Amino acid sequence: MATAPSDYALQEDFVASEQYEVGESVSLWQDTWRRMRRNRLALIATAFVLFVLLVAIVSQFWTPYPIWRQGVGPTYQTPTLKHPLGLDQSGRDILSRLMGGAAISMEVGIGTALLSSVIGIVLGLLAGFYRGWIDSVISLVINVWYGIPDLLVVIMIVVITGRRELLFIIIAISITAWVNMARLVRGQTLSLREREFVEAARSIGTRDFSILFRHIFPNALGPIIVQATYLVPSAIIFEAFLSYLGLGVPPPNPSWGAMTAEGYRSLQYAPHITLIPALALGLTLVALNAFGDGLRDALDPRMRR
Amino acid sequence: MTRGTFAYVAQRFVLIALTALVVSSIVFIGVHQLPGNAFLSERQSSPQREAELLHHYGLDKPLPEQYLAWVGGVLHGDLGESLVNRGVRITPLLLRELRVSATLGLFALLFTVVLGMGLGILAATKQNTWIDYAASFGGTVGYSMPNFVTATLLILLTVTGFYAWSGGAFYEDIGWGKPEQVIVPAIALGLYPMAIISRLTRASMLEVIRQDYVRTAWAKGLRPRLVIVRHSLRNALIPVVTILGPITTSVITGSVVIEYIFGIPGLGKEFVNSIFNRDYNIVIGVFTFYAVLVGLANLAVDLVYPLLDPRIRY
Repeated sequence: MATAPSDYALQEDFVASEQYEVGESVSLWQDTWRRMRRNRLALIATAFVLFVLLVAIVSQFWTPYPIWRQGVGPTYQTPTLKHPLGLDQSGRDILSRLMGGAAISMEVGIGTALLSSVIGIVLGLLAGFYRGWIDSVISLVINVWYGIPDLLVVIMIVVITGRRELLFIIIAISITAWVNMARLVRGQTLSLREREFVEAARSIGTRDFSILFRHIFPNALGPIIVQATYLVPSAIIFEAFLSYLGLGVPPPNPSWGAMTAEGYRSLQYAPHITLIPALALGLTLVALNAFGDGLRDALDPRMRR
Repeated sequence: MTRGTFAYVAQRFVLIALTALVVSSIVFIGVHQLPGNAFLSERQSSPQREAELLHHYGLDKPLPEQYLAWVGGVLHGDLGESLVNRGVRITPLLLRELRVSATLGLFALLFTVVLGMGLGILAATKQNTWIDYAASFGGTVGYSMPNFVTATLLILLTVTGFYAWSGGAFYEDIGWGKPEQVIVPAIALGLYPMAIISRLTRASMLEVIRQDYVRTAWAKGLRPRLVIVRHSLRNALIPVVTILGPITTSVITGSVVIEYIFGIPGLGKEFVNSIFNRDYNIVIGVFTFYAVLVGLANLAVDLVYPLLDPRIRY
């Protein structure tokens, strides 16, 4: 009883393998989306993230007032109809600057998530797949790197090089942020490489590169995407943090972290200057994390209950 | 302490030493690549005086020699001398500041662990009720908020909010030295790790309370408190303990900002100040110190681990 049906199933899988695989991979994402839709918090979060992205894109073409123009109205003015979010200590329109800040946050978040994911995925795949001395070296780097407070490393890199343009900050954050991704991918690869489909691929003479990127990587994609999603908010925090200390993108740029710090001196009589960018930052990060949680629960329903 | 444990601990100490070596040498090389030096800001009157200063700090020697001298000093517990305030030895300075930071950090950790685990247990035992949803959402918020935002909101609340509300009776005095001044910064520092712990406690409690032995405990009519605390929590704690290492790291990095905002004279504030003052001897010292501290915290967690779960041995 045990052998006959499973043999039959095996044969059927073998015959229909091409079609079957394509069909399943589509339904996995459809399934994910269906589960995600049922999660109201994740849905609101997704909508909010899309809204921030939209604002970031719009800010590149249009803002109510020029982002850098000082004295468009009285300094420290609280919200009015003309300036819905008020004016800051130099009489700049906070709404316009908030929109520009959204662009910087999103660029840093998405840029870092992409760059550090690439580093982490490649190193994780190599370490998990080849094991031996390659794994020893990469794992040692991971372990050493893991024992260093990453934020302070980023501060050090920025201070030592003295470079503060956006691309460089993305690189600086990525240098520290890849570690968790590498750990995750290494673990996934270690278990996936022992699976039958990898053995099957190897037995028909598939090259290592193909096995890594066409067999192992797609099977680890779910957790990788979730991890990459979480990288976005953590990179945004890093950038805001750098800017808050005055080490981020140089001052006239409207980074949310820098805006929060600028209003700090006038906290007692004009709290809106600090409060608005701080809340924008907080809300965006909450939404990004809630989106990541929703995606994780939807991709891996076992985590939920 | 078995031989395996001993070997494991020894191995970890090697890793910690290696980390400190790597960190310090990278920072060392990086710092000395910089154009100019800490004395540039002092508006030197003569090149002769500058040469004297460079000689005083050994900065005129070749880089490898400087580094070896520094490592030699560290092995004797001497981190060198401040570049900005001449004559100030760094080791006693850092030890003094460590006491301040440790006080703040321990209060933050206490707040974190007690409240975080409490919320996690509450959310898990009341799963899918509004308490669970509120705690989970609160967790996401706490987890997402950068600590300088939390700190700013707390300052706004305590300094202006409570002050106006209590008609001037309540006055939050930002600074350090009085016992009540530790509360607000500790909360600001502990909120993020608290959220992580509550999420993790909830998740691992949910896993444990579905196990057969817990069902047996309920079935034989054990009191709820005993089932939760003795049967479930003990096993649910294991994954929570693993996160305490990374949480120590986050408390350390968090303290950098919190101390800067609240004007607390600890290690974190020193780190930021010495970066701005280009006092690189202190920067290297604090950085290496942090790397060792994180390594020791992770090691301590790994040693507690087998005590909770006898299946794990090194």
